[in-house]
Amino acid sequence: MQKQMKRFYLSQLIGRRIRDSEGEKVGTVKDIAILWDGNIPKITGIRYSKDLDKLISADKVAIWDKNGVTLSQTGGVLNPTNIRPKELYVGKWLLDKQIIDLKGSKLVRVNDILLSCTGSDAFIVAADIGLRGLLRRIGLEFLSKRLENHYILWQSITPTDSRTGSLQLDVDKEELNKLHPADIADFVEEMDYNSQAAFVRSLDAEQAADALAEMEIDTQVGIISQLTGEHASDLLEELPPDEAADILSEMPEEKSAELLQLMEDEEADEVKKLMQYEGDTAGGLMTTEYIDMPVSLTVEQAIERLRELAPEAETIYYLYIVDEADKLLGVLSLRELIISGPNNTLGNLMHTKLITVHYEDGHRKIAERMQKYSLLALPVVDEHGMMLGIITVDDVLDILMPERSTEDAWAIYLNKHAGRNGGSK
Amino acid sequence: MKLTERLSSRLSLFLAVMGPGIVTAFADNDAGGIATYAAAGAKYGYDLLFIMFISTICLVVAQEMSARTGAVTGKGLSDIIREQYGVKWTLFAMAVLIIANMGTTASEFSGIATSFEIFGISRYISVPIVALVIWILVLKYDYGKIEKIFFVLCLTFFSYVISGVIVDPPWETVLKASITPVFSWDADFLLMAIGVIGTTITPWGQFYVQASIVDKGITIADYKYTRWDVLIGSFFTWLVAFFIIVATAATLFANGISIETAGDAALALAPLAGKYASMLFSFGLLGASMLAAFILPLSTAYAVCEAFGFEHGVSKSYKEAPVFFGLYTVLIVAGAGIVLWPGLSLYTIMLLSQVVNGVLLPPILIFMVLIASDKYLMGKHANSKWYNVIAWIFTFALIVLTILLLLASLMPDFIPSLIG
Repeated sequence: MQKQMKRFYLSQLIGRRIRDSEGEKVGTVKDIAILWDGNIPKITGIRYSKDLDKLISADKVAIWDKNGVTLSQTGGVLNPTNIRPKELYVGKWLLDKQIIDLKGSKLVRVNDILLSCTGSDAFIVAADIGLRGLLRRIGLEFLSKRLENHYILWQSITPTDSRTGSLQLDVDKEELNKLHPADIADFVEEMDYNSQAAFVRSLDAEQAADALAEMEIDTQVGIISQLTGEHASDLLEELPPDEAADILSEMPEEKSAELLQLMEDEEADEVKKLMQYEGDTAGGLMTTEYIDMPVSLTVEQAIERLRELAPEAETIYYLYIVDEADKLLGVLSLRELIISGPNNTLGNLMHTKLITVHYEDGHRKIAERMQKYSLLALPVVDEHGMMLGIITVDDVLDILMPERSTEDAWAIYLNKHAGRNGGSK
Repeated sequence: MKLTERLSSRLSLFLAVMGPGIVTAFADNDAGGIATYAAAGAKYGYDLLFIMFISTICLVVAQEMSARTGAVTGKGLSDIIREQYGVKWTLFAMAVLIIANMGTTASEFSGIATSFEIFGISRYISVPIVALVIWILVLKYDYGKIEKIFFVLCLTFFSYVISGVIVDPPWETVLKASITPVFSWDADFLLMAIGVIGTTITPWGQFYVQASIVDKGITIADYKYTRWDVLIGSFFTWLVAFFIIVATAATLFANGISIETAGDAALALAPLAGKYASMLFSFGLLGASMLAAFILPLSTAYAVCEAFGFEHGVSKSYKEAPVFFGLYTVLIVAGAGIVLWPGLSLYTIMLLSQVVNGVLLPPILIFMVLIASDKYLMGKHANSKWYNVIAWIFTFALIVLTILLLLASLMPDFIPSLIG
């Protein structure tokens, strides 16, 4: 007998009759159960009554069809099985829920589910997220014959609902690595707060920190407060100290003290230092991860040092030359360093006409200086010229142009050819 | 020192969480609300104070449920309806919401038209201009800032409280009326009763309060403050409504003056403001109407698009989110269009839209109660048994009232003959 492959939708199957091999009705399809374990999700059972735990095992199905299911035995429902912990109801767990569309890097809603069957086996093939699926659900598919179906294949289905029984959020980390952390941040911000925390929990520390760093402060605080102290403090250590300080200063004092306690001393100290400054001042905006060097170093030694320090630093385009007490003496750009002779000392090369900001200066002043002197980063000093940190141009940009500001959107709206949001459809 | 610190941190947390309940409560006393309360006071004196009192209690219950659901799930009401009840029920709920909100938007534009007409500006000039201004401002500017301006204008309505005190009504009668059930089988009375309930508890208010809780990132941990937010907000709704009824009853009903236009409701402010009463009234009306006119079309478009998974957000372009912008625009155009229809009285639009809201409220309430009592969704924060009893009684009472209204208007003789 040749096996014939059929495709149909969950919405077509639900409510259809289940018959035994003699054509006697034994129930209707209420929902179907699957195993979600990384392999192609096979349908393992049918819920046929109001009882949420009772299933007809898929082994007993002879024919799957969009007009109904026919069993291979006679005499009604024999030995219904109980749903097993690893099994999931597709209708309850996936249909109408939000999933992550990794290609479009956004949240989408599952309008229908495409099933496929060969012989007596049936599988989930894809989630239908298109308008056509929506119209099919209300019985108006004939209006959309010319619309294309919009599917997400089962391999790419990343559910956001983590509260269903024993299901762990199953995030494909390699797929996620193809996305920019800012894109991940975008769709995480669209999730409800329970899912946000569950999603971040499922990432590894580096992925989580990269994405977290791109989120709005409210979302950051929300996520951190939901994680366990240990997990939260690990994440905070991974974050740039200025971001960590911003998050902690937004949290209740007891909670932030507790998290600082859990962090490694070195990281915690830096963060604590940053937390002393007011939010919208140079002190509050700066990071302490800059590159400083003593005045006596030769160019060759400096380049060697730079290699060691670079991974941790926020920017390496400027080297700040300081004395033992951290007083800022001069500054040198990466370009100047590289094109200089290897034996020249930093003291000889550095610029001593310093462009700095005081830690109490506001963002307007910082932005003006950056713009006037065309700098990518500015050193922040105190009254005595002691180096405290640096502010990079992107920190200032974040304040001057809040992400997705409505003004910005308006500009895009008016100028339809502004290809800034490229990539969408 | 420690104590004051803790107090101040509590206070700042409270202030951070405050807002959704209070803003919704103020927007509840919108053009339609003012018109309905004023009409109730002018036509039935203190008779409807009791219904107002009961509907405030129900407002607390309804708002608290929506707010709690938002805080527990982090999801909007339309999201949850979609996830729990599927596409068909969502379509039904969204159709209800769109119809109710189109009516309410029309009533806001009537309020705007009325407040301009008090200054002699024709609605054919004011309404299109204001509609365009709202359409642009919402898309272009941060409407949170604009919201504050209208919020301040709304405070004008506290002048009804002062006015109500100045007229010095027979307080004993007033207080007695507030707790004495008065009922009549007359269609006009039923209409007014449903209108009063429908303007106090609105379908959009439930969606809006839950959406702003989610938007503010309020979680169940902060919820105890939100409960106060809801309580305080509802108290102000009641306070303003109570004094509008008292002030109109003492000035208009007592002297047998009936209200023909919403501007007449300003007469009740005369004891306070004298010849400036109309001006005061029109500022308040403008603020309340604008506040709601800003919130309504936008929040409707958000709710609908979220439920069906269409792209949404003011930061998207028209090409990216055509349904969102389309719906938003249609709501404003239709709302303004109804007001400009020749021969329609602004006052009738305001009153009728509140009745439409009252009639459409039960289906939304049923969804809300079912969701808020769902153990799977809400865990230990699900409705308690007694809470559910109150919620269901109220829902069924409203359904019964609606059916009575239909019967009373279709067959005026039916009910009196029934009770003999």
